[in-house]
Amino acid sequence: MKKGRILSMVLVIMMLSTLFGAAAVAESVEQITFLNSKGEIQAQLEEAAKVFNAENAGISVEIIPCPAGKSPFEVMSTMYNSGNAPTLAMVDAGDVVRLTEKFVPLNDENWVADAASGSLDSVTIDGNVYAFPFAVEGFGFIYNKQVLDEAFGGAFDPSTITTRAALQDAFDKVVASGKQALIITPMDWSLGAHMFSTMYLAIGQGDQAAYDALFSSLRAGTMDLAANPVFQGWLETFDLLREYNSAKADALSITYEKGPELLGKGDVGFWYMGNWAWPQIAEFDTADEAYGFVPYVLSDNADDYGNKDVVAFGSKYVALDGSQNTEAQQAAGKAFLNWLVYEASGQDTLVNKANLIPAFTNIELDIADPLGRSIVAHIADGTTIPAIDNFAVMPADHWSVVGASLQKYLAGYADAATLAQEIQDYWTTAK
Amino acid sequence: MKQKERIFLTLKTLLLSVLLLAYLVPFILVVINSLKPTREFLENPLALPQAINFSNFTIAFDKMNFISGLSNTVVITTVSVLLIALFSSMAAYLMVRTTWKITRILFFCMVSAMIIPFQALMIPLVRIYGSLGILNNQSTLIYMYLGFGAPMAVFIYHGFIKSVPLEIEEAAMIDGCSQVRTFFQIVFPLVKPISFTVLILNVLWIWNDFLLPSLVLIKPAQRTLPLSTFYFFGTYTVDYGLLMAGLLMTILPVIIIYLFLQKHIIQGVMQGSIK
Amino acid sequence: MRKRVSAIRSFIIFCGPTSLFFLTVILIPFLFGIYLTFTNWNGISATGFGFSGLDNYRVVIADKVFWKSFWLTLRFVFFTVLFTNTVAFFLAYALTSGVRGQNTLRAGFFTPNLVGGIILGLIWNFLFGNVFTFIGKSLGLDLLSISMLSKPETAFWALVIVSVWQYSGYMMVIYIAGFTNMPNDVMEAASIDGATKGKRLTKIIIPLMVPSFIICVFLTLQRSFMVYDVNLALTNGGPFKTTQLISMHVYEKAFLAQDFAVGQAEAVFLFLIVALVTITQLYFSKKLEAEA
Repeated sequence: MKKGRILSMVLVIMMLSTLFGAAAVAESVEQITFLNSKGEIQAQLEEAAKVFNAENAGISVEIIPCPAGKSPFEVMSTMYNSGNAPTLAMVDAGDVVRLTEKFVPLNDENWVADAASGSLDSVTIDGNVYAFPFAVEGFGFIYNKQVLDEAFGGAFDPSTITTRAALQDAFDKVVASGKQALIITPMDWSLGAHMFSTMYLAIGQGDQAAYDALFSSLRAGTMDLAANPVFQGWLETFDLLREYNSAKADALSITYEKGPELLGKGDVGFWYMGNWAWPQIAEFDTADEAYGFVPYVLSDNADDYGNKDVVAFGSKYVALDGSQNTEAQQAAGKAFLNWLVYEASGQDTLVNKANLIPAFTNIELDIADPLGRSIVAHIADGTTIPAIDNFAVMPADHWSVVGASLQKYLAGYADAATLAQEIQDYWTTAK
Repeated sequence: MKQKERIFLTLKTLLLSVLLLAYLVPFILVVINSLKPTREFLENPLALPQAINFSNFTIAFDKMNFISGLSNTVVITTVSVLLIALFSSMAAYLMVRTTWKITRILFFCMVSAMIIPFQALMIPLVRIYGSLGILNNQSTLIYMYLGFGAPMAVFIYHGFIKSVPLEIEEAAMIDGCSQVRTFFQIVFPLVKPISFTVLILNVLWIWNDFLLPSLVLIKPAQRTLPLSTFYFFGTYTVDYGLLMAGLLMTILPVIIIYLFLQKHIIQGVMQGSIK
Repeated sequence: MRKRVSAIRSFIIFCGPTSLFFLTVILIPFLFGIYLTFTNWNGISATGFGFSGLDNYRVVIADKVFWKSFWLTLRFVFFTVLFTNTVAFFLAYALTSGVRGQNTLRAGFFTPNLVGGIILGLIWNFLFGNVFTFIGKSLGLDLLSISMLSKPETAFWALVIVSVWQYSGYMMVIYIAGFTNMPNDVMEAASIDGATKGKRLTKIIIPLMVPSFIICVFLTLQRSFMVYDVNLALTNGGPFKTTQLISMHVYEKAFLAQDFAVGQAEAVFLFLIVALVTITQLYFSKKLEAEA
């Protein structure tokens, strides 16, 4: 009987905690939601929401994270179907295009004038701005300067890496110095959305019409990828990576966490990733914050398109829902965006807390992290592949399907012909 | 002969105990690693913690909003299973005691529906309830559980009530008891053992269910434990000690209840399968 | 007339709520789902959708990825059903032979069933990815130092292992119920007759256990066809989508590739297969039971 009494006490405690949980909800302020698809800054955004809610009495922002491994579009489609669209949704540029009918044009907002040039292009549809550029991001090979200085026996100059031969030479030198050349973290989004899209960008060479032609020929099935010189060059570099990958023996078991650890500790010289990885690298940093980017080179001719450039693009756009949120909620959503751009605490969130490169020219805070600085320097030098709205025409599951094909190739389960064929097959059936 | 048999039995017990240990190794490792900082974990996931440290728990408790997840799960599970047991036993009672066409058809439909995979229902469910604007609501989730839980519960009650003798009820009816009163005063107490089975089977299912709540509940504040654990994993992938503490906290409430009720739970599962 | 009114009244009181839930949560969505497969609904558009005939089914039939996932699922179901029932049967056999602490042992083997598939998947993901590879590396075993989850074939077996581990405790309980309901005098008679242990097992016990087999095979079939949680948390379909079981494929088709109507058509197809397999199983086992 004693057992029974303890059990019923446990149950009572559980029930009571429930009641308290339920009673804690208060109403009367404008409740809005913000869908966050940058999982790595969830904590910072939650913090920002607290600050914002304290500064703006009538509004309460709740940050909803988009679970890892799910695309924002996937989550948005469930939310719209369930009648619970978030007030503000941080999505990719392509999703803005796909969901335009749900969103409110934001032309009259002050920040439109302060947005960095080009950052609104991919979300401007028929002259209407449909989203707020959340950040500028860049990706390429991140190098650990200390490892490379040692390998080169002097100061390493990243601007010398403009050909595949130079990249291979750097790999060899790192290996000769007793370290591993690089680590490839094989997440489908990294391989599919970032690494592979470098290839599309290099084919289109910054010309919108060329991108349109490329994608429509892929959809029509008239494109022979395997015969395309840019694809061949891209793949040759990929083969090089595969060869020098420190996790070659078990390439697919590597998780994202392994990248910052190996690079930060100086076990490898390079890691293919973007500037958002800084907080994780910083945890392991042994190189005195000396890191930077080199490009994904596509050929042995330094003057070929893209060989001096890292990819920098307006990443993540915040759109405002107009179909399931009230006028008052929309106004509150706009207030939150303005707060991010114009209030000191908002700017602080973007630049210092979340480590982002803001897409607004009025924000003058210095970027503290070395990766962000490297991207900003590339932008200033004009050595970036321009951000065009190439992602806008990509099918929603492109990253996932192409990413899987690349994983297969990376681990040696498919040859080059199969890879090209799989990607072509995918495009002809894609929505 | 006797002694040989005893040795054999002891050996068997020993062997089974070792096997059980192997079965439970995953849980043991979770416990060990939940007490370690991540660095220690990376060095050796099998070693015992160098110092007992509960900080992982306090952090995970906070970050995954444990209390809210637990209370949501408790409310949704409790309300759902009690209502399922109540309504299903009533329906099964009428189905057994009458030979009407409609109850027979209903029973047949429900039993056949048991083989419909959830995947065939999830897209239309989201569509229908979404367009009515009542998704993202715990009551809707409970309502859905009442529907999904009904067929099996009715089936189990149906089998049991069939074996309840009619005489007692008839006597009560002759005494002027209404059908409803007869049910609650005489039949319902008689089917108590099987009600317990129905409750247990449904608790095991609803407490741990993932896909349906992941489609219905979107706001973090409404999440059940399996959901908050999953999302927690997505957000803090690097910190293993923290993750293990989160896992352990999710499992713990069920294990505690199991320690008290294991006999009944095992009995319940047995009963559920026989009927 | 009065009788009829009172009959309707008791139907509404007793069966009303359950019928309502059943109708609105299962039956109507099921029928509506079948209807959706004949339309071109895309999941987002609020403007409605047109009738598209059998187009979606044509897409499904032509979809290579779907068929791959389908065969994978059949293979998964086959091995999971086979191993789960074998393990569960022998556990039950051992745990009804009067070993000491048999109740504790039974309770122990049942434990994985208290925990949801998502949690179990996460635990095993950590075991395969970190613990086993650690053991492999420190012992210098090549086989173990490569994560099972990073190779298609071994990742498939990882899924099977976890599922068998998960279900066998539950099925064990059902087999135990079968053993304890077995008439004692039959067993005694057999041992007096001097039947060997092996003979007793094959000639007497297994035939008497047919009803338990029917239930367990039915339950494992149903569960393994619909596995989603463990699949998501353990392999997430990887490496490169080689372990994507059909449930996950349907989910991604609908919610990721935004092909809602095609996803639904695949789900309906899944229903037909599950129905076919389980009904066949029940039919043949009933026949077997009648003969035994």
